[in-house]
Amino acid sequence: MMKSFSQRFLHNPLVIVGLSWLTLVLLVAVLADVLAPANPFAIVGKPFLPPAGDFLLGTDSLGRDVLGGLIHGARTTLLIAVLSTLAAVAFGALVGAVAGYYGRWIDDVLMRLTEFFQTIPSFLFALVLIAILSPSAMNLVIAIATVSWPPIARVVRGEVLSVKSREFVRAAIVAGQRDSAILISQVLPNTLSPLIVTGSLLVATAILVESALSFLGLGAPNQMSWGFMIGAGRSFMREAWWLVTVPGIVILLTVLSINLVGEGLNDALNPRLADA
Amino acid sequence: MLIIRRLAAVSAGLLAAAVLASAPASAQKPGGTLVQITQPEPPNLAPYISTSGPIGQVTAKVFDGLLEYGFDLKPVPSLAESFEVTPDGKTITFKLRQNAKFHDGKPFTSADVRFTFMDVLKKVHPRGIATFRELTAVETPDPYTAIFKLEKAAPYMLMAFSGYESPVLPQHVYGSGDIKTHANANIPVGTGPFRFVEWRRGEFVRLDKNKDYWRAGLPYLDRIVVRFIGDSSTRTAALEKGEAHVAGFGAIPYNDVKKLAALPSVEVTTKGYEMVSPIVELLLNTKHAPLDNQKVRQALAYAIDRQFVIDNVWFGYGKPAAGPISSNFAPSGMFEAGKDYNAADRVARANALLDEAGFPKKADGFRFELVHDLTPYGEEWQRFGEAVQQQLAQVGVKVTLRYEDVAKWLKRVYTDYDYDISSNFLYNLADPVLGVHRSFHSDRIRPGTVFVNGARWSSPETDKIMDQATVEPDPAKRGALYRELIKQTSEASPVIYVLELQFPTLVNKQFKNVITSPLGIYGNYATAYRE
Amino acid sequence: MRGTALLFYILRRLLQTVPVVLGVVVLNFLLLQLAPGDLATVLAGEAGGAPKEYIDLLRQRFGQDQPVIVQLYRYMAGLLTLDLGYSFRQSAPVLQLLLDRLWPTLLLMGTTFLLSLGFGVTMGLLAALWVRTWKDHIVSVVAIIFYATPLFWVGLMLILLFSIKLGWFPTSGMEDVVAFNEGWDRVVDIAHHLVLPSITLSLFYLALYARLMRASMLEQRGLDYVTTARAKGLSERQITIRHVLRNALLPVVTMAGVQVGSLLGGSVIVESVFAWPGLGQLAYQSLFARDFNLLLGIFFLSSCLVVIVNLIVDVVYVLLDPRIRIG
Repeated sequence: MMKSFSQRFLHNPLVIVGLSWLTLVLLVAVLADVLAPANPFAIVGKPFLPPAGDFLLGTDSLGRDVLGGLIHGARTTLLIAVLSTLAAVAFGALVGAVAGYYGRWIDDVLMRLTEFFQTIPSFLFALVLIAILSPSAMNLVIAIATVSWPPIARVVRGEVLSVKSREFVRAAIVAGQRDSAILISQVLPNTLSPLIVTGSLLVATAILVESALSFLGLGAPNQMSWGFMIGAGRSFMREAWWLVTVPGIVILLTVLSINLVGEGLNDALNPRLADA
Repeated sequence: MLIIRRLAAVSAGLLAAAVLASAPASAQKPGGTLVQITQPEPPNLAPYISTSGPIGQVTAKVFDGLLEYGFDLKPVPSLAESFEVTPDGKTITFKLRQNAKFHDGKPFTSADVRFTFMDVLKKVHPRGIATFRELTAVETPDPYTAIFKLEKAAPYMLMAFSGYESPVLPQHVYGSGDIKTHANANIPVGTGPFRFVEWRRGEFVRLDKNKDYWRAGLPYLDRIVVRFIGDSSTRTAALEKGEAHVAGFGAIPYNDVKKLAALPSVEVTTKGYEMVSPIVELLLNTKHAPLDNQKVRQALAYAIDRQFVIDNVWFGYGKPAAGPISSNFAPSGMFEAGKDYNAADRVARANALLDEAGFPKKADGFRFELVHDLTPYGEEWQRFGEAVQQQLAQVGVKVTLRYEDVAKWLKRVYTDYDYDISSNFLYNLADPVLGVHRSFHSDRIRPGTVFVNGARWSSPETDKIMDQATVEPDPAKRGALYRELIKQTSEASPVIYVLELQFPTLVNKQFKNVITSPLGIYGNYATAYRE
Repeated sequence: MRGTALLFYILRRLLQTVPVVLGVVVLNFLLLQLAPGDLATVLAGEAGGAPKEYIDLLRQRFGQDQPVIVQLYRYMAGLLTLDLGYSFRQSAPVLQLLLDRLWPTLLLMGTTFLLSLGFGVTMGLLAALWVRTWKDHIVSVVAIIFYATPLFWVGLMLILLFSIKLGWFPTSGMEDVVAFNEGWDRVVDIAHHLVLPSITLSLFYLALYARLMRASMLEQRGLDYVTTARAKGLSERQITIRHVLRNALLPVVTMAGVQVGSLLGGSVIVESVFAWPGLGQLAYQSLFARDFNLLLGIFFLSSCLVVIVNLIVDVVYVLLDPRIRIG
């Protein structure tokens, strides 16, 4: 007797830990303006004040509140990561679904295209895009999405190929439903579970890519983000450890939580693996 | 100022430059490898075609100039043993050294000088095209005499003969083929104290002692290795561990300099930039409303907290700037403090000026919005932009930051003029004609030419002062002209002068005599030695 | 004949990759044309300003006064004869610059590849054998932490600990530039410099492979043939080594092939942190200097690299799994 999805999902203690942290981050992101009403770029105190003084997590090299930065950074970082993932998933799913559903030369062309994007070293390509577009939140989303859709396309194509031959799809074709309707109502819902798993992991990757770009000085200059904080603090790593350590740990925990939840989802959606 | 004194002496008759014998002290023992950090890696080793900063840090050890300069900015002999300038300033005669050889063993002669200045520097050197514009011919009556013929007097030219600025090239090497894509562009051959051995890209350039150097007994060092390390904290670590010994020009983050200075093994000096004199500035687009309004420009100048920026962005390595000319020029009478934008009540003044100019604060607390294009030269510029953003917010000016890479930024500011405020640092160089006029003279409003009059400031009064100062032989009058220029430009405020940057140079204490000229690490290290 | 078939397969695959690689170059060529600002302005900027006539001279020299299509045609024509053009910023032929930087990158990538694959597979294998015990949890948690840590952060921390505090390894570079070692000493010296950067770059991939290996092992163990083998009375150990391991390796190997491109990207960061003189750093610099000939050369070379590694992976795949038909 199989346990229900939510039972299996929530039974895993690691998933609970991950979910709790993500919920916290999400709440902070939503309530950023309430929790830290000041502009995170405002100079509020002396530079390099250590944590646990006037400011809970200290101040940075210009005297900006680190905690305020983390709170507002949660919003930017999550927004960039989630939006770029959504864009990548939407585009990748479209390419993969069309390729898998229509097959033949369309499949050939689209898979060549996917292969092509996988051949270009992705981080380098993201760098090129940012250099051409110039760094801003919007352009980070575009660049990250552009380099992360191919795996989604592959996953969806594979699923579509296996779903396509099943009876309910055949029935829909025989019933004369339009291709787009069949794709949306019959095929895609069945590819959802691997899509969710891959997508959740993409969010984690997007956070890492954003922080790496910021580390190289290519983050969005007007939005406080975690990567920005590390980029701005890296020179002071040794005399002001908290500037890099704190946002670094926050990134680590968030990426970790997303992975834990993603794995939990995977296990819950594919019980065969989990019970092996 | 050197040129002026020189010209004053010239007007009394012919001048013979003193021959300073380079007398190496004998206590220094030869040997040792000095590792210098240069950031970023130079694009090539062709200082005759590119003046990109890192190139000179390497090639100044390989190429000699006709002259070098002391800390007082007076010339001292190098490949030229002496020189004379005629009273009209239109002829300069160099007597050349007779025992100098290039690294390939061929002798150095006046033909090389003619070739270097007429065929190379005047034609393809980025600054040489302007510096040597008045140079019409180099005559070579014998192998050890070179006579420079000038169209008009150009006193500033005498400041441009160092091995860094005008490297003397062997004609037999660089004379054949296209100089712009020459095979020796990355295999420099000169007469300098060190000869080029190897450049492993991404890693280092290796220079070994020139055993046949024309200054007997020099150099002391066996080898110089110039290393390239992309990451700033790694550069600091290399210096801290003693894996590298010299670094300058901001290669080490300013906050790390203090930490390294505390080590017993490292010495920090701010000398060696007297012929550079960089000034950090905010460029205002004077053709864009509301920056076309002088009151607005003055208000912004008042709003900047210079000391905060010096303390927290450049970690103390600077002093408030008062005008377009660095205080390094004070001894020559060309310096004066401009309008006092650092007054105690500066914020109140800024607010008052903005009200007067017709930009009252709106309901959201802001008067108007501007975009600040950050200088893409490293993180301190980003921090600077963020600090300026907060300071301008205090007087009700909302600033958005834009960060683009060097190519885009240069195009935006100096070609398209599609900006409101931008930050930059401009070198005063060895003379205001070379380093200062470019920022204000209306004939330097040249779309497509970088680091000139990007503010598009144009005023017949200031143009006239600069035109006079270019050819004015009397140092006192010239000084007075420049003081007037400072007064007028700081009042009009097309550019906000923030601070005179004092680059720290770090030297491992094992090594002595490394920074010996106003060109600092653009020097040749001939007399540097290891203890 | 399986051998000839394999050879034909390799040839066919190589032919197929030609358009992909050329496509990468054309796409990037056109993309880079969109970037405002050009090499001439950057060079003038690096020079601290230059007169207009100098900048015009540069543009003419670079062929930038020609229409884009002419520039593209010239570039592609050169490419077909392996003439990658000239880097005007670095005053050297692009091919020579690339070859200079290729081997440090190959060294770093190769070491990383072996380290991460070796340790990753072992960790995954052990975790799968210990499945649902505390040992499995520890391995999995360690892997997932490695997976979640930003690369540059690991690099900085390793330098802080092992170079500065403990003094065990050099902070940066590929060899000792004061000593200029020769022969065997040089090999040892380079290996010494290689330790920290390759560990930094390995951790992420190690975690990736460990997780994949574990999942793949568990999946294989649930499959029918294992049940059959069990029924035949083979011991768990025999089953694991003879059947499961080999099949479980397949997805890991595929993933390793796919990751080569990303490994190159990761090396941009690691090379920048450790001043490792490879292609990644060169790419970063040439991008910001608008040195497009050089950058396109890097894209060309790295695409070739990715394609070749993928091909090798596929061949390995065929050898590991005789059931796959080629042709």
